[in-house]
Amino acid sequence: MSLLLQAQGLNKRFQSVDALDDVSLTVSRREILAVVGESGSGKSTLLATLAGLQSADSGRITYYGADRPQDIGDMDEMQLRRLQRTQWGFIHQNARAALRLDVSAGGNIGERLMMNGARDYGEIRETAARWLDEVEIGRERIDEMPLNFSGGMLQRLQIAATLVTSPELVFMDEPTTGLDVSVQARVLDLIRNLVHKLDVATIIVTHDLGVARLLADRTVVMQGGAIVEHGLTDQVLDDPQHPYTQLLVSSVLPS
Amino acid sequence: MISYNFAYLDEQTKRSIRRALLKAVAVPGWQIPFGSREMPLPYGWGTGGIQVTASVIGETDRLKVIDQGADDTTNAVAIASFFKRMTGVEITTHTADATIIQTRHRIPEHPLTENQIIVYQVPQPEPLWRLIPERPVAMRAHALGDYGTMYVKLYEDITRFGRVASAYEHPVMVGGCVLMSPSPIPAFDNPKMDRMPALQLFGAGRERRLYAVPPYTSVRSLDFADHPFHPGRADGTCSLCGSTTSYLDEIIMDDHGTRRFVCSDTDYCSERQDAKDTTP
Repeated sequence: MSLLLQAQGLNKRFQSVDALDDVSLTVSRREILAVVGESGSGKSTLLATLAGLQSADSGRITYYGADRPQDIGDMDEMQLRRLQRTQWGFIHQNARAALRLDVSAGGNIGERLMMNGARDYGEIRETAARWLDEVEIGRERIDEMPLNFSGGMLQRLQIAATLVTSPELVFMDEPTTGLDVSVQARVLDLIRNLVHKLDVATIIVTHDLGVARLLADRTVVMQGGAIVEHGLTDQVLDDPQHPYTQLLVSSVLPS
Repeated sequence: MISYNFAYLDEQTKRSIRRALLKAVAVPGWQIPFGSREMPLPYGWGTGGIQVTASVIGETDRLKVIDQGADDTTNAVAIASFFKRMTGVEITTHTADATIIQTRHRIPEHPLTENQIIVYQVPQPEPLWRLIPERPVAMRAHALGDYGTMYVKLYEDITRFGRVASAYEHPVMVGGCVLMSPSPIPAFDNPKMDRMPALQLFGAGRERRLYAVPPYTSVRSLDFADHPFHPGRADGTCSLCGSTTSYLDEIIMDDHGTRRFVCSDTDYCSERQDAKDTTP
């Protein structure tokens, strides 16, 4: 598998807290990487930094895109925006904050296309309809306002609105937290199917080890801003080596 | 007896506004902040337009003020008499005779010339404001020429109404690179802005922004490839002058829904009526 994203020696301090402490990781094409750890361990900071939403104090992030490797730190704002909205995607925990609730479902999906220069209404609408089918909302709801959608539907709409440009790499920040358990399962199932179907690499941040086990090829465990353990998901979860990982795994309630 | 400076504003204020106007002309469509002053009428009644007019008007100018196309509505009459008192310039209703035209919500039917300045009163200068509520974020979008978001509104229009339905304030691209609000003029008037020989100045008093479109600058209304921009006009004939091409106001005549159309541009309409009267 070929390399897609590489982070080397990322450091980030918030006043006295080390949010990122010499973090290095790689993601390959079509690979799903889970980042697990407790609240405050630096998972979300890591994700936002990798996605170019905030900058690290030191370290470098290299993206091996279609043509040539690019250092994220060297890009100007326009290049970064273009990358973020064509080849990358970001799925937020709170779909309500990420979507436009006063714009129809079709408009929400179409926004990313229009930002990338789509100027044909018929094509935009057809693509949006196809994606509504894809995420099991159904094309007949294309003109409805997301205001009327349930939490699970909103999250599925956000997934459609992100994947519509067929990105190569998607960042997900706790995409199923806050949904009830049955809805969680459905959204996870959808994510798993879509990322495999589209061959999109994914970095998913979660505190739910079950999500990591279900989706991820590899898992990294964070504590206090540092990566304490990494490896194949089954290996990390079934045979944890680091005391903190052992604690995490043992604290999962038996189902 | 208190006496006011020519055109009400003091000279330093006028100079500062002129400097802002020069910047605005240099970067067509770009919003320039300016030190908007307290004016003797409420925000929303044309404080921005009045300050721009006051900064460019001279003793030899002839001023025309219109509100929704009409010379005889409250807002137009009040502003015209204000300038009459504060400058002593000649007030005219004839588009062709005016050197400065201050307008709210219309562009006159009569084509403007190189010798004229049109000043628009603008309530909201930021075309992205409904889509991007945070001004700094909107300014970044302008700085990067990142206007894809604007199409979300057009998409919603077509979805809801079957066509690009912004009947007024339809956003335009100026000089191919800056997104601009044309002020709340009807979409019907948008094409008149394109390569207009007259200088177009825009003032937003409450928002403290002004902007400009220099003569002969391209102004293109946003649209989709398969839903081209359509300047809307009521399908009717002016019942006073018989015009079939001017922008029309609809007037309800009685409680039974009888209606008739008249030109929104009163000067254009009366000129056509006069011409009819003199022909045998």
